[in-house]
Amino acid sequence: MKKLFLLIVVTLCVCISFVLFASASYPERNITNVLVWSAGGGTDACNRVVMAEMAKILGVNINVVNKTGGAGGSVGMNYAYSQPSDGYTLCGLSESCVTAGVQGGFDKRMNVWEYFIIGGSPDVVSVTPNTPYMTLKDLIEAAKKNPGEIRAGASAAGSIHHLNLLALEDGSGAKFNYIPYTGSAPAQNAAMTGEVSVVVTSVAEQAQLIRGGKLRPLAVLIPESFVLAGETLPSAFDSYPRLSEYLPISQAIGFAIKADAPDDIKAVLIDAFKKALKTDTFVKWAEDNYYVVSGATGAEGVEIFNKLESLFAWTLWDLKAAKVDPSTLGIPKP
Amino acid sequence: MFIFEQLFVFFQQIFYLIANPINVFILFGAVLLGIIFGAMPGLTATLGVALLATLTYGMDTSTSLVALLSIYVGAIYGGSYASILINIPGTAAAAATALDGYPLACQGKAGKALGLTTTASAIGTLIGMLFVITMAPLISAFALNFTSFEFFLLAFFGIIISGTLTSHDLAYKGWIAGFLGLFMACVGRDQLQFYPRFTFGLNELDGGLEVVPVLIGAFGIPQIIQVLKDKVAGGEAKRFQRILPEFTEIFHHFPDIIRSSLIGVGIGAIPGIGEDIAGWVSYGAAKNSSKHPERFGKGEISAVISAETANNSCIGGAMIPLLSLGVPGSPPAAMLLGALMLHGIQPGPMLTFDHPLFIFQVAAILLLASFAMWITGMLLAKQVIKVLRIPPPVFMPIIAVLCIIGSYSLGLRIFNLYLMVPVGILAYFLTEMEYPIAPLVIGVILGPMADANLRRALMVSKGSFLPMFTRPVSLILILVILLMVVSQISWFKIFTKRISNKMFSRKVNKNIS
Repeated sequence: MKKLFLLIVVTLCVCISFVLFASASYPERNITNVLVWSAGGGTDACNRVVMAEMAKILGVNINVVNKTGGAGGSVGMNYAYSQPSDGYTLCGLSESCVTAGVQGGFDKRMNVWEYFIIGGSPDVVSVTPNTPYMTLKDLIEAAKKNPGEIRAGASAAGSIHHLNLLALEDGSGAKFNYIPYTGSAPAQNAAMTGEVSVVVTSVAEQAQLIRGGKLRPLAVLIPESFVLAGETLPSAFDSYPRLSEYLPISQAIGFAIKADAPDDIKAVLIDAFKKALKTDTFVKWAEDNYYVVSGATGAEGVEIFNKLESLFAWTLWDLKAAKVDPSTLGIPKP
Repeated sequence: MFIFEQLFVFFQQIFYLIANPINVFILFGAVLLGIIFGAMPGLTATLGVALLATLTYGMDTSTSLVALLSIYVGAIYGGSYASILINIPGTAAAAATALDGYPLACQGKAGKALGLTTTASAIGTLIGMLFVITMAPLISAFALNFTSFEFFLLAFFGIIISGTLTSHDLAYKGWIAGFLGLFMACVGRDQLQFYPRFTFGLNELDGGLEVVPVLIGAFGIPQIIQVLKDKVAGGEAKRFQRILPEFTEIFHHFPDIIRSSLIGVGIGAIPGIGEDIAGWVSYGAAKNSSKHPERFGKGEISAVISAETANNSCIGGAMIPLLSLGVPGSPPAAMLLGALMLHGIQPGPMLTFDHPLFIFQVAAILLLASFAMWITGMLLAKQVIKVLRIPPPVFMPIIAVLCIIGSYSLGLRIFNLYLMVPVGILAYFLTEMEYPIAPLVIGVILGPMADANLRRALMVSKGSFLPMFTRPVSLILILVILLMVVSQISWFKIFTKRISNKMFSRKVNKNIS
């Protein structure tokens, strides 16, 4: 009897210590980051840099695997979601993934994830150098005088830059002739050919053209000003405070873990994530790529994505480009 | 003086690159991998560059650039293998090559054709490279004349020209095939407003019809059925095959090579369109300027040379807007842009300030890659021809399996097979009725460009077609398209013949009097 009791106690101790040891030692094998966009894109580059730094801190490899396709990156997201919530599968994503739900690619809301938001490059309103607009005020006043006459290029309807342009119109009362392009690069190229005179894309995408004097930046669409190669780009909010009702709609590049993963694993990841964002390599990379670093995690991150989700979902619904009614998914109106 | 200085820097770069044995190893390895990617239907140059972009992330910038450019050059060249040997273009860029390359192989001249295309591709790449260092600023200024109207007309031109060139009997048939392709390109979410068209609620159709399964289905399946049905013997390979072309032969085709290179560079420099159109336009130009246009389509060497030179010189052309504007000139160049950004190099107007040696480095790598391609190609061609000795009943099922794997491997989507097979069956019946297939595929490839640009152009002009006729480049394109269409109408043909006869006879009369 005594022996049996001892045996039970010993086994229990071993079991408990195993459990404790196991959870305390996360991660004990390599982690996979399932990236929903293709290799070479902004989300991919940003995730790879941060993963490399986090791998050093955690002491295991983090493999970045691109799993692309579907609506709003739904193929990769569904795959990552089907994996166990043990912290060994992360999902590398960006703000446009919130459209997967209304496009019929992901049958859950985006709050099934918990986010680690690295950040993104802010949007900037620029004009071609041969236009007379020297400030955002000049441009907006001109657009108000001739509504729908000034041509503004941005990526396709429902994209983040289009939403920024819409918000700028709503907040300032101006009306542009929005010309959609298949991406930011073609939109900027159209400004070079003179097809459009205004472009709304991110600072990172425009940096070369701005520094080369081929585009004149007027204002960034975030509450603070932004320094680009020694030149301060003023915030659009300074001249039009009402913009704060509609903006900022910022890029949110980062990665996510399933929300039902154990809290201690999340804590380990959050710790490593925050440390990784402070490393010299990342800080330099973010600076070189004109990022505004966010670092939001936990409830803060979920709230950012909830906002983006309702904004994107309802805009697509209004454009008649959504397949699934956002209200059936329980997405509130913005 | 300035040119000498530039040349000095250029050769310095070459020296730096080959001084490192790893670079040389990667150079040949990536070229070989590229040729394999190009030769396999379904694996494209874009896919190859994308694959290496991730694999070379950890290497230093110049080494990974060697890998990326080499696989690009190799893949565009490798497409000619499958075109010539089995009449299934390995890449869309080699579709024009198949038109005359396969008849040559059937005549037992596969070795000669491959040897010449290898050399022509290498020369094309070199000429493209020369343009990268010398003409970049000029050409990118020219590319800036292209707005939405011109892009629409260019895409339309690409479809019409491939329709005109590939039809055996009536050009109308080619155009019909082209418009079928154009219609197929409308499936999926439209690129501007994101509105789903002809998707019938299927999620898989949201992204539109993928080009690769359509390409494989349309070219591969009819070919497989045809060969197995007719028991056609493939090409002949038993006769003595000299691969290395004679110098006089190359010299003889030099005008073709120069003309095609210029066309390739010019088309490459226009953002958004790539090697496939370059091949077609060059093929058309060769046919128009040839003394024997009737030989085209039946195994004309200069046709194969023209198409292959142009698609390789297009690489250099595509680098020009990439490096000077940050706008990729072709789909593989778009992947290259992503890879460069991973390495912290942002191409654009400021590139020469941020990385002053970068353009020379690209040019130096292109030079090395074209040499590596030539050497590898010469060694490989001799072996590759042996596939023609495999009897078709054995060979064609293997090709069929490769086609299926090729389609599936793109995104690992089973839906691609559901797409490939019906397209293939449609294409088979079209071939039976002697409709050319190439314009259909070109229509699918260029359709989104034509569609989005026309609609965007009309948004810019607020619904007016007037700018199409007031913008110089667009007016020229319209005239060329009109001329091409009208020249197929019989009374116009008779009319021009009469005029030329009259002028000719008048001259003769004058001479007599």
